[in-house]
Amino acid sequence: MNADPIHTDDSKPQVLVIDDSPDVHRLLAARLKREELELVDASTGDEGLSMAKARPPALVLLDLDMPGTDGFQVLRQLKDDAATHPVPVIVLSGLASMQDKITAFELGAVDYITKPFEFSELRVRIRSALRVHRLLQLLATRAQLDGLTGLWNRAHFDQRLAEEVSKAARHNRPLSVAIADCDHFKSVNDTFGHPAGDAVLQGVAKVLRRESRTSDVVCRYGGEEFVVLMPETAPQDAAAVCDRIRLAVEGIAWPRHPEHRVTISFGVAGTETGKSASPEAFIESADRNLYMSKRTGRNKVTSSTIDHPRPAAAA
Amino acid sequence: MIPSNPAPFRPLRSLFAGDPEMRELVSEFAAELPERAGQIARHAEGRDAAAVMRLAHQLRGAAGAYGFPTIGESAGRIEDALRGLDNPGRTRALEGLRTQIEELAGLCDSARAGAPISHSRSPGR
Repeated sequence: MNADPIHTDDSKPQVLVIDDSPDVHRLLAARLKREELELVDASTGDEGLSMAKARPPALVLLDLDMPGTDGFQVLRQLKDDAATHPVPVIVLSGLASMQDKITAFELGAVDYITKPFEFSELRVRIRSALRVHRLLQLLATRAQLDGLTGLWNRAHFDQRLAEEVSKAARHNRPLSVAIADCDHFKSVNDTFGHPAGDAVLQGVAKVLRRESRTSDVVCRYGGEEFVVLMPETAPQDAAAVCDRIRLAVEGIAWPRHPEHRVTISFGVAGTETGKSASPEAFIESADRNLYMSKRTGRNKVTSSTIDHPRPAAAA
Repeated sequence: MIPSNPAPFRPLRSLFAGDPEMRELVSEFAAELPERAGQIARHAEGRDAAAVMRLAHQLRGAAGAYGFPTIGESAGRIEDALRGLDNPGRTRALEGLRTQIEELAGLCDSARAGAPISHSRSPGR
């Protein structure tokens, strides 16, 4: 089953403490043990950087004055890396000059607390930074969601397609793209009204999510069209997944129009070998195959490989 | 002959000594303080000003948070006297810090004497 775009993560937010003083690590562990967070410790700037890059935390508490890579260098590198750029950083420092504070904020710190810190203040500042970070993440996610179906939207798909095409070509790995279109959707709207049409789109989205795999990226492409991006999947295997989805949609009894079944047609295109091709080439090929499915009777799956472009199968 | 009384020795208690969350932690910290002051003194004798400044900086940051603001301030005065100087300047400045380093050592001894007994670590010196 495909993961929901907005998944509920029950794990505690991870807070990475980068400080060369064991005293500070012990203190924070004691003072923050009742907070809903998981503390992880790094005692040098370099250690902190590699931990943050390996698993970006929800928050970094950063000392500035450390031997070796100091806090300013750590902050600069965190903000220069796309993976760690969004992570909020609170500076915890004994350096209290105005220039140090200005530099830290200019480099991207969200807060600056001078040692020795007052723990009740530190707790609320940590909570505040985590809350803002969570809301920003939610906002960024919602900007990539389709409001009607809750699937990823076109913008997210375009971004992921470009990433996956590049990854497949780099590692010579298979990749497939499927476009699905509801057959005679206009007649559902015209006959049963737009709320019934919306219910069909939501129902199809639900089946797409349920029947696809965790690694698949299911998106609403626009109107009554959906796309499924299938990393590590050759076109013949992608076609099998799509046929499962097609059958599941065909089997739905719609509460608003039980006598009227809805079917969907698929066009699938992919590579078995990670052949270097543009994202547009995948879309154009899948779109041609969708057209073939429509022209030859609908409620079917047509797939081909872009390695040797020709329609291979129609279920 | 009645011996003369030494200067009264006042144990220094952490501001968090009564905080159950901090009790054990404060004990451990206080037990280590004399050794830390000793390290600073030894580095000062060895004219390693960078090490003196680093240890004083760490103590300045930690001591206040463990409820010993006077120790943090004392360590801060040592750090401030060395910060911003070049290496020869720091080494010269060390000569003038003897009294402050002794004062810090005295405060650390007082803190250890004033701390509740910790069972988890041995005393520093």
